Amino acid sequence: MAIRLSRTFILRKLHQLTGIMPLGIFLLEHFYTNSKALSGPGDFNNAVKDLQSIPYILLVEIGGIFIPLIYHAVYGLVITVEARPNNLHYPYARNWFYTIQRVTGIILFFFITFHVLNFRFGMIPGLNTLSVAHHPEQSFEIVSREFHNVWIFIVYVIGITATVWHLANGIWLFLVDWGITIGERAQRLTGYACIAIGLLLLAVGINAAIAFIKPGGLIPGLM
Amino acid sequence: MNTVEIHIKRREKPGAPQHWEIFEIPYRPNLNVISCLLEIRKNPVTKSGQKTTPPSWDMNCLEQVCGICTMVINGRVRQSCSALVDNLDQPIKLEPMTKFPNIRDLVVDRSQMFDHLKRVHAWVELDGTYDLGPGPRMDQEDVMERYAYSRCMTCGCCLEACPQYDEDHYIGPQAIAQVRLFNMHPSGAMDRDERLQGIMGDDGITNCGNAQNCVKACPMNIPLTKAIYEENRETVLYGLLGWLKK
Repeated sequence: MAIRLSRTFILRKLHQLTGIMPLGIFLLEHFYTNSKALSGPGDFNNAVKDLQSIPYILLVEIGGIFIPLIYHAVYGLVITVEARPNNLHYPYARNWFYTIQRVTGIILFFFITFHVLNFRFGMIPGLNTLSVAHHPEQSFEIVSREFHNVWIFIVYVIGITATVWHLANGIWLFLVDWGITIGERAQRLTGYACIAIGLLLLAVGINAAIAFIKPGGLIPGLM
Repeated sequence: MNTVEIHIKRREKPGAPQHWEIFEIPYRPNLNVISCLLEIRKNPVTKSGQKTTPPSWDMNCLEQVCGICTMVINGRVRQSCSALVDNLDQPIKLEPMTKFPNIRDLVVDRSQMFDHLKRVHAWVELDGTYDLGPGPRMDQEDVMERYAYSRCMTCGCCLEACPQYDEDHYIGPQAIAQVRLFNMHPSGAMDRDERLQGIMGDDGITNCGNAQNCVKACPMNIPLTKAIYEENRETVLYGLLGWLKK
Protein backbone atom coordinates (compact mmCIF):
# COMPACT_ATOMS: atom_id res chain seq x y z
CA MET A 1 0.00 0.00 0.00
CA ALA A 2 1.29 3.42 -0.91
CA ILE A 3 1.30 5.79 2.04
CA ARG A 4 0.11 9.31 1.31
CA LEU A 5 2.06 12.03 3.12
CA SER A 6 -0.07 14.67 4.80
CA ARG A 7 0.81 18.36 4.72
CA THR A 8 1.49 18.49 8.47
CA PHE A 9 3.71 15.41 8.32
CA ILE A 10 5.93 16.97 5.64
CA LEU A 11 6.03 20.40 7.32
CA ARG A 12 6.97 18.90 10.71
CA LYS A 13 9.65 16.66 9.25
CA LEU A 14 11.09 19.67 7.38
CA HIS A 15 11.01 21.68 10.60
CA GLN A 16 12.88 18.94 12.49
CA LEU A 17 15.40 18.55 9.67
CA THR A 18 16.14 22.25 9.08
CA GLY A 19 16.90 22.68 12.79
CA ILE A 20 19.85 20.30 12.47
CA MET A 21 20.75 20.81 8.86
CA PRO A 22 21.52 23.47 7.82
CA LEU A 23 20.85 25.56 10.96
CA GLY A 24 22.69 23.43 13.54
CA ILE A 25 25.64 22.98 11.19
CA PHE A 26 25.61 26.72 10.51
CA LEU A 27 25.78 27.48 14.25
CA LEU A 28 28.93 25.34 14.52
CA GLU A 29 30.45 27.27 11.59
CA HIS A 30 29.38 30.55 13.21
CA PHE A 31 31.04 29.67 16.54
CA TYR A 32 34.14 28.54 14.64
CA THR A 33 34.42 31.90 12.90
CA ASN A 34 33.66 33.81 16.10
CA SER A 35 36.41 31.90 17.90
CA LYS A 36 38.90 33.30 15.39
CA ALA A 37 38.61 36.46 17.50
CA LEU A 38 40.54 34.67 20.26
CA SER A 39 43.77 35.13 18.32
CA GLY A 40 43.13 38.78 17.50
CA PRO A 41 41.23 41.14 15.20
CA GLY A 42 43.33 40.27 12.13
CA ASP A 43 42.41 36.58 12.19
CA PHE A 44 38.72 37.33 12.72
CA ASN A 45 38.62 39.90 9.89
CA ASN A 46 40.36 37.44 7.56
CA ALA A 47 37.85 34.75 8.48
CA VAL A 48 34.97 37.10 7.60
CA LYS A 49 36.70 37.98 4.35
CA ASP A 50 37.11 34.28 3.54
CA LEU A 51 33.41 33.67 4.12
CA GLN A 52 32.58 36.52 1.77
CA SER A 53 34.70 34.87 -0.94
CA ILE A 54 32.67 31.63 -0.88
CA PRO A 55 31.53 30.97 -4.48
CA TYR A 56 27.79 31.65 -5.03
CA ILE A 57 27.80 33.31 -1.58
CA LEU A 58 24.43 35.00 -2.18
CA LEU A 59 22.77 31.67 -3.07
CA VAL A 60 24.45 29.92 -0.15
CA GLU A 61 23.32 32.64 2.22
CA ILE A 62 19.74 32.74 0.96
CA GLY A 63 19.23 29.01 0.36
CA GLY A 64 21.39 27.69 3.18
CA ILE A 65 20.58 30.18 5.91
CA PHE A 66 17.80 32.69 5.32
CA ILE A 67 15.11 30.41 3.85
CA PRO A 68 15.60 27.52 6.33
CA LEU A 69 15.93 30.02 9.19
CA ILE A 70 12.72 31.86 8.35
CA TYR A 71 10.90 28.56 7.78
CA HIS A 72 12.12 27.07 11.08
CA ALA A 73 11.28 30.25 12.98
CA VAL A 74 7.81 30.84 11.55
CA TYR A 75 6.69 27.20 11.64
CA GLY A 76 8.20 26.93 15.12
CA LEU A 77 5.86 29.72 16.23
CA VAL A 78 2.93 27.82 14.70
CA ILE A 79 3.91 24.76 16.76
CA THR A 80 4.34 26.91 19.87
CA VAL A 81 0.83 28.32 19.53
CA GLU A 82 -0.56 24.75 19.71
CA ALA A 83 1.18 24.03 23.03
CA ARG A 84 -0.84 23.73 26.24
CA PRO A 85 1.95 23.63 28.87
CA ASN A 86 1.00 21.93 32.15
CA ASN A 87 4.32 21.96 33.98
CA LEU A 88 2.89 22.79 37.38
CA HIS A 89 0.71 19.68 37.50
CA TYR A 90 3.21 17.41 35.73
CA PRO A 91 6.62 18.77 36.81
CA TYR A 92 8.87 16.27 35.04
CA ALA A 93 12.23 17.18 33.48
CA ARG A 94 11.16 16.35 29.91
CA ASN A 95 7.98 18.34 30.34
CA TRP A 96 10.09 21.34 31.41
CA PHE A 97 12.37 20.77 28.42
CA TYR A 98 9.24 20.81 26.24
CA THR A 99 8.25 24.23 27.55
CA ILE A 100 11.80 25.62 27.59
CA GLN A 101 12.30 24.54 23.96
CA ARG A 102 9.33 26.73 23.04
CA VAL A 103 10.38 29.64 25.28
CA THR A 104 13.93 29.64 23.87
CA GLY A 105 12.39 29.45 20.40
CA ILE A 106 10.46 32.67 21.04
CA ILE A 107 13.59 34.32 22.52
CA LEU A 108 15.53 33.24 19.41
CA PHE A 109 12.89 34.63 17.09
CA PHE A 110 13.51 38.12 18.47
CA PHE A 111 17.23 37.69 19.19
CA ILE A 112 18.14 36.44 15.71
CA THR A 113 16.04 39.14 14.06
CA PHE A 114 17.91 41.72 16.15
CA HIS A 115 21.30 40.07 15.58
CA VAL A 116 20.93 39.83 11.78
CA LEU A 117 19.73 43.43 11.49
CA ASN A 118 22.43 44.62 13.89
CA PHE A 119 25.48 43.00 12.28
CA ARG A 120 24.61 41.49 8.90
CA PHE A 121 22.75 44.61 7.74
CA GLY A 122 23.65 47.34 10.30
CA MET A 123 20.06 48.50 10.32
CA ILE A 124 19.11 48.88 14.01
CA PRO A 125 18.45 52.61 14.56
CA GLY A 126 20.82 54.16 17.07
CA LEU A 127 23.25 51.23 16.93
CA ASN A 128 25.84 50.00 14.43
CA THR A 129 25.18 51.18 10.85
CA LEU A 130 27.82 49.14 9.01
CA SER A 131 27.18 45.69 7.53
CA VAL A 132 29.86 43.31 8.77
CA ALA A 133 29.57 41.32 5.55
CA HIS A 134 30.35 44.38 3.43
CA HIS A 135 33.14 45.71 5.68
CA PRO A 136 35.16 42.61 6.57
CA GLU A 137 38.26 44.66 7.31
CA GLN A 138 36.36 46.49 10.09
CA SER A 139 34.28 43.56 11.31
CA PHE A 140 36.14 42.98 14.61
CA GLU A 141 35.93 46.66 15.42
CA ILE A 142 32.21 46.81 14.63
CA VAL A 143 31.41 43.85 16.92
CA SER A 144 33.79 45.03 19.63
CA ARG A 145 32.22 48.51 19.67
CA GLU A 146 28.73 47.02 20.10
CA PHE A 147 29.82 44.57 22.80
CA HIS A 148 31.34 47.36 24.89
CA ASN A 149 27.77 48.46 25.50
CA VAL A 150 26.90 46.32 28.56
CA TRP A 151 23.21 45.97 27.63
CA ILE A 152 23.99 44.72 24.16
CA PHE A 153 26.53 42.28 25.54
CA ILE A 154 23.93 40.94 27.98
CA VAL A 155 21.46 40.54 25.12
CA TYR A 156 24.06 38.51 23.24
CA VAL A 157 24.89 36.33 26.24
CA ILE A 158 21.18 35.55 26.69
CA GLY A 159 20.86 34.95 22.95
CA ILE A 160 23.85 32.60 22.79
CA THR A 161 22.63 30.66 25.83
CA ALA A 162 19.13 30.29 24.39
CA THR A 163 20.55 29.22 21.01
CA VAL A 164 22.79 26.58 22.54
CA TRP A 165 19.98 25.20 24.70
CA HIS A 166 17.63 25.10 21.71
CA LEU A 167 20.19 23.26 19.57
CA ALA A 168 21.41 20.81 22.22
CA ASN A 169 17.86 19.81 23.15
CA GLY A 170 16.96 19.99 19.46
CA ILE A 171 19.54 17.32 18.62
CA TRP A 172 17.92 15.04 21.19
CA LEU A 173 14.48 15.81 19.76
CA PHE A 174 15.66 15.14 16.22
CA LEU A 175 17.04 11.75 17.26
CA VAL A 176 13.72 10.62 18.74
CA ASP A 177 11.54 12.26 16.10
CA TRP A 178 13.31 10.45 13.29
CA GLY A 179 13.21 7.14 15.14
CA ILE A 180 16.97 6.95 15.65
CA THR A 181 16.86 6.88 19.46
CA ILE A 182 14.06 4.59 20.65
CA GLY A 183 14.46 2.81 23.99
CA GLU A 184 14.49 4.33 27.45
CA ARG A 185 18.19 3.68 28.04
CA ALA A 186 19.15 5.08 24.65
CA GLN A 187 17.04 8.17 25.39
CA ARG A 188 18.91 8.67 28.66
CA LEU A 189 22.37 8.19 27.13
CA THR A 190 21.70 10.51 24.19
CA GLY A 191 20.34 12.96 26.76
CA TYR A 192 23.69 12.99 28.57
CA ALA A 193 25.50 13.37 25.26
CA CYS A 194 23.34 16.38 24.37
CA ILE A 195 24.02 17.99 27.77
CA ALA A 196 27.77 17.56 27.13
CA ILE A 197 27.43 19.04 23.63
CA GLY A 198 25.41 21.93 25.06
CA LEU A 199 27.93 22.76 27.80
CA LEU A 200 30.81 22.63 25.33
CA LEU A 201 29.03 24.85 22.81
CA LEU A 202 28.03 27.28 25.55
CA ALA A 203 31.65 27.62 26.71
CA VAL A 204 32.88 28.11 23.14
CA GLY A 205 30.12 30.57 22.25
CA ILE A 206 30.46 32.74 25.35
CA ASN A 207 34.26 32.69 25.26
CA ALA A 208 34.20 33.88 21.63
CA ALA A 209 31.88 36.74 22.60
CA ILE A 210 34.20 37.71 25.47
CA ALA A 211 37.13 37.77 23.02
CA PHE A 212 35.62 40.89 21.45
CA ILE A 213 35.88 42.88 24.68
CA LYS A 214 38.83 41.14 26.36
CA PRO A 215 41.74 40.10 24.11
CA GLY A 216 42.20 36.33 24.12
CA GLY A 217 38.85 35.55 25.73
CA LEU A 218 38.09 34.64 29.33
CA ILE A 219 41.44 32.97 30.04
CA PRO A 220 43.98 34.30 27.51
CA GLY A 221 46.66 31.87 26.43
CA LEU A 222 44.68 28.85 27.68
CA MET A 223 44.83 27.08 24.33
CA MET B 1 -8.47 13.96 61.24
CA ASN B 2 -12.14 13.10 61.70
CA THR B 3 -13.53 14.31 58.41
CA VAL B 4 -12.55 14.36 54.75
CA GLU B 5 -13.21 17.52 52.74
CA ILE B 6 -13.93 16.95 49.08
CA HIS B 7 -14.31 19.61 46.39
CA ILE B 8 -16.13 18.46 43.27
CA LYS B 9 -16.22 20.38 40.00
CA ARG B 10 -19.77 19.87 38.84
CA ARG B 11 -21.72 20.40 35.65
CA GLU B 12 -25.44 19.82 35.38
CA LYS B 13 -25.55 18.91 31.70
CA PRO B 14 -23.41 19.34 28.55
CA GLY B 15 -22.82 23.02 27.87
CA ALA B 16 -23.90 24.17 31.34
CA PRO B 17 -21.28 26.15 33.32
CA GLN B 18 -19.04 24.30 35.76
CA HIS B 19 -19.03 25.14 39.45
CA TRP B 20 -17.38 23.80 42.59
CA GLU B 21 -19.27 22.16 45.43
CA ILE B 22 -17.71 21.34 48.79
CA PHE B 23 -18.63 18.22 50.74
CA GLU B 24 -17.50 16.81 54.04
CA ILE B 25 -17.75 13.17 55.06
CA PRO B 26 -16.65 11.31 58.18
CA TYR B 27 -13.18 9.82 57.96
CA ARG B 28 -12.59 6.11 58.22
CA PRO B 29 -9.43 4.16 57.40
CA ASN B 30 -8.78 2.88 53.85
CA LEU B 31 -11.21 5.22 52.10
CA ASN B 32 -10.64 5.70 48.40
CA VAL B 33 -12.10 8.46 46.24
CA ILE B 34 -14.91 6.20 44.98
CA SER B 35 -16.00 5.27 48.50
CA CYS B 36 -16.04 8.99 49.34
CA LEU B 37 -18.28 9.65 46.33
CA LEU B 38 -20.57 6.77 47.38
CA GLU B 39 -20.77 8.32 50.85
CA ILE B 40 -21.69 11.72 49.38
CA ARG B 41 -24.30 10.10 47.15
CA LYS B 42 -26.07 8.60 50.18
CA ASN B 43 -26.84 12.07 51.47
CA PRO B 44 -25.97 14.77 48.92
CA VAL B 45 -25.72 17.79 51.22
CA THR B 46 -22.85 20.26 50.86
CA LYS B 47 -20.59 21.26 53.72
CA SER B 48 -22.62 24.44 54.23
CA GLY B 49 -25.76 22.32 54.65
CA GLN B 50 -27.36 22.90 51.24
CA LYS B 51 -29.20 20.02 49.60
CA THR B 52 -27.91 19.23 46.13
CA THR B 53 -28.11 16.53 43.46
CA PRO B 54 -25.99 13.38 43.90
CA PRO B 55 -22.74 13.70 41.94
CA SER B 56 -22.30 11.58 38.80
CA TRP B 57 -19.19 9.60 37.94
CA ASP B 58 -18.23 6.44 36.09
CA MET B 59 -16.93 3.32 37.81
CA ASN B 60 -16.74 -0.37 37.11
CA CYS B 61 -13.91 -2.73 38.07
CA LEU B 62 -12.66 -0.90 41.19
CA GLU B 63 -9.18 -2.43 40.77
CA GLN B 64 -7.50 -0.14 38.20
CA VAL B 65 -7.89 -2.37 35.17
CA CYS B 66 -10.93 -0.92 33.38
CA GLY B 67 -9.94 2.76 33.32
CA ILE B 68 -13.49 4.12 33.36
CA CYS B 69 -13.23 5.92 36.74
CA THR B 70 -10.36 8.15 35.53
CA MET B 71 -10.59 11.76 36.70
CA VAL B 72 -8.34 14.66 37.66
CA ILE B 73 -7.57 14.35 41.38
CA ASN B 74 -5.69 17.24 43.02
CA GLY B 75 -4.63 18.44 39.55
CA ARG B 76 -3.34 15.09 38.34
CA VAL B 77 -5.10 12.56 36.18
CA ARG B 78 -5.51 9.06 37.65
CA GLN B 79 -8.04 6.36 38.47
CA SER B 80 -10.26 7.29 41.40
CA CYS B 81 -10.63 3.66 42.57
CA SER B 82 -6.91 3.41 43.36
CA ALA B 83 -6.63 6.94 44.79
CA LEU B 84 -6.49 6.33 48.54
CA VAL B 85 -7.58 9.17 50.81
CA ASP B 86 -4.73 8.45 53.24
CA ASN B 87 -2.24 9.27 50.46
CA LEU B 88 -3.95 12.44 49.24
CA ASP B 89 -3.58 16.05 50.36
CA GLN B 90 -6.78 17.59 51.69
CA PRO B 91 -9.06 19.09 50.57
CA ILE B 92 -9.35 16.51 47.80
CA LYS B 93 -10.20 18.26 44.54
CA LEU B 94 -12.05 16.18 41.97
CA GLU B 95 -12.41 17.42 38.39
CA PRO B 96 -13.51 15.68 35.20
CA MET B 97 -10.83 15.10 32.55
CA THR B 98 -10.41 18.29 30.51
CA LYS B 99 -9.48 16.86 27.11
CA PHE B 100 -12.79 15.06 26.48
CA PRO B 101 -16.38 16.36 26.22
CA ASN B 102 -17.80 16.65 29.74
CA ILE B 103 -21.27 15.05 29.97
CA ARG B 104 -22.11 15.71 33.60
CA ASP B 105 -20.10 16.24 36.81
CA LEU B 106 -17.16 13.82 36.57
CA VAL B 107 -18.44 11.88 33.54
CA VAL B 108 -16.72 12.41 30.17
CA ASP B 109 -17.28 11.00 26.68
CA ARG B 110 -14.10 9.24 25.56
CA SER B 111 -15.42 7.89 22.26
CA GLN B 112 -12.73 9.83 20.34
CA MET B 113 -10.24 7.25 21.60
CA PHE B 114 -12.38 4.48 20.11
CA ASP B 115 -12.51 6.43 16.84
CA HIS B 116 -8.70 6.59 16.87
CA LEU B 117 -8.49 2.80 17.33
CA LYS B 118 -10.75 2.31 14.32
CA ARG B 119 -8.69 4.72 12.25
CA VAL B 120 -5.39 2.98 12.96
CA HIS B 121 -6.84 -0.49 12.28
CA ALA B 122 -6.07 -1.65 15.83
CA TRP B 123 -6.84 -5.31 15.27
CA VAL B 124 -5.46 -8.32 13.38
CA GLU B 125 -7.41 -9.46 10.31
CA LEU B 126 -8.47 -13.02 10.93
CA ASP B 127 -11.52 -13.43 8.71
CA GLY B 128 -11.24 -15.67 5.67
CA THR B 129 -13.46 -17.94 3.60
CA TYR B 130 -11.27 -20.91 4.51
CA ASP B 131 -9.28 -22.15 7.50
CA LEU B 132 -6.22 -19.90 7.81
CA GLY B 133 -4.41 -22.36 10.07
CA PRO B 134 -2.42 -21.49 13.18
CA GLY B 135 -0.72 -18.08 13.32
CA PRO B 136 3.02 -17.69 12.91
CA ARG B 137 5.24 -18.16 15.94
CA MET B 138 6.51 -15.07 17.71
CA ASP B 139 9.85 -14.29 19.33
CA GLN B 140 9.53 -14.45 23.14
CA GLU B 141 11.02 -10.96 23.49
CA ASP B 142 8.42 -9.58 21.09
CA VAL B 143 5.70 -11.37 23.04
CA MET B 144 6.81 -9.67 26.23
CA GLU B 145 7.04 -6.27 24.59
CA ARG B 146 3.62 -6.69 22.99
CA TYR B 147 2.19 -7.74 26.35
CA ALA B 148 3.12 -4.34 27.78
CA TYR B 149 1.27 -2.54 24.96
CA SER B 150 -1.69 -4.92 25.21
CA ARG B 151 -2.37 -3.76 28.76
CA CYS B 152 -3.75 -0.40 27.57
CA MET B 153 -7.23 0.09 29.05
CA THR B 154 -8.05 3.23 27.03
CA CYS B 155 -8.42 5.28 30.21
CA GLY B 156 -7.12 8.50 28.61
CA CYS B 157 -4.52 9.47 31.25
CA CYS B 158 -1.85 9.87 28.56
CA LEU B 159 -4.05 12.22 26.53
CA GLU B 160 -5.10 14.24 29.57
CA ALA B 161 -1.46 14.75 30.64
CA CYS B 162 -0.23 15.52 27.09
CA PRO B 163 0.46 19.23 26.45
CA GLN B 164 -0.04 18.64 22.71
CA TYR B 165 -3.43 16.90 22.96
CA ASP B 166 -6.28 19.37 22.81
CA GLU B 167 -9.63 19.25 21.05
CA ASP B 168 -8.66 16.06 19.25
CA HIS B 169 -5.91 17.77 17.17
CA TYR B 170 -3.46 14.94 17.80
CA ILE B 171 -4.05 11.22 17.59
CA GLY B 172 -2.07 10.70 20.79
CA PRO B 173 0.06 8.04 22.50
CA GLN B 174 -2.85 5.67 23.20
CA ALA B 175 -3.53 4.96 19.51
CA ILE B 176 0.16 5.03 18.52
CA ALA B 177 0.98 2.33 21.12
CA GLN B 178 -1.76 0.16 19.61
CA VAL B 179 -0.24 0.66 16.16
CA ARG B 180 2.99 -0.66 17.63
CA LEU B 181 1.17 -3.59 19.26
CA PHE B 182 -0.43 -4.74 16.01
CA ASN B 183 2.50 -3.90 13.71
CA MET B 184 4.67 -6.14 15.88
CA HIS B 185 2.29 -9.06 15.33
CA PRO B 186 3.42 -11.21 12.37
CA SER B 187 -0.10 -11.39 10.90
CA GLY B 188 -0.98 -7.86 12.00
CA ALA B 189 2.09 -6.55 10.14
CA MET B 190 0.27 -7.24 6.87
CA ASP B 191 -1.82 -4.12 7.53
CA ARG B 192 1.19 -2.07 8.58
CA ASP B 193 0.86 0.64 5.93
CA GLU B 194 -2.81 1.16 6.67
CA ARG B 195 -1.94 1.76 10.32
CA LEU B 196 0.93 4.07 9.40
CA GLN B 197 -1.47 6.02 7.16
CA GLY B 198 -3.74 6.36 10.19
CA ILE B 199 -1.03 8.05 12.28
CA MET B 200 0.49 10.16 9.49
CA GLY B 201 -2.39 12.56 8.94
CA ASP B 202 -2.53 16.24 9.84
CA ASP B 203 -3.29 15.24 13.43
CA GLY B 204 -0.72 12.46 13.36
CA ILE B 205 2.38 11.29 15.15
CA THR B 206 4.46 14.36 14.18
CA ASN B 207 2.33 16.42 16.58
CA CYS B 208 4.11 14.70 19.47
CA GLY B 209 6.12 17.31 21.39
CA ASN B 210 8.24 14.84 23.40
CA ALA B 211 7.14 16.20 26.77
CA GLN B 212 6.87 12.54 27.80
CA ASN B 213 4.09 13.13 30.33
CA CYS B 214 2.20 10.21 28.78
CA VAL B 215 4.65 7.60 29.95
CA LYS B 216 4.74 9.13 33.44
CA ALA B 217 0.95 9.36 33.71
CA CYS B 218 0.21 5.87 32.36
CA PRO B 219 -1.22 3.77 35.22
CA MET B 220 -0.32 0.54 33.37
CA ASN B 221 3.35 1.54 32.92
CA ILE B 222 3.14 1.11 29.15
CA PRO B 223 6.38 2.26 27.42
CA LEU B 224 4.42 4.84 25.42
CA THR B 225 7.39 6.95 24.32
CA LYS B 226 9.14 3.84 23.04
CA ALA B 227 6.04 3.04 20.98
CA ILE B 228 5.98 6.59 19.59
CA TYR B 229 9.67 6.50 18.65
CA GLU B 230 9.35 3.03 17.08
CA GLU B 231 6.50 4.41 14.98
CA ASN B 232 8.55 7.53 14.18
CA ARG B 233 11.08 5.12 12.70
CA GLU B 234 8.42 3.20 10.76
CA THR B 235 6.80 6.37 9.39
CA VAL B 236 10.21 7.65 8.28
CA LEU B 237 11.25 4.33 6.69
CA TYR B 238 8.00 3.30 5.04
CA GLY B 239 6.22 6.63 4.75
CA LEU B 240 8.76 9.37 4.13
CA LEU B 241 11.36 7.20 2.36
CA GLY B 242 8.84 4.78 0.81
CA TRP B 243 9.14 6.42 -2.63
CA LEU B 244 12.79 5.32 -2.84
CA LYS B 245 11.61 1.73 -3.30
CA LYS B 246 9.34 2.58 -6.22
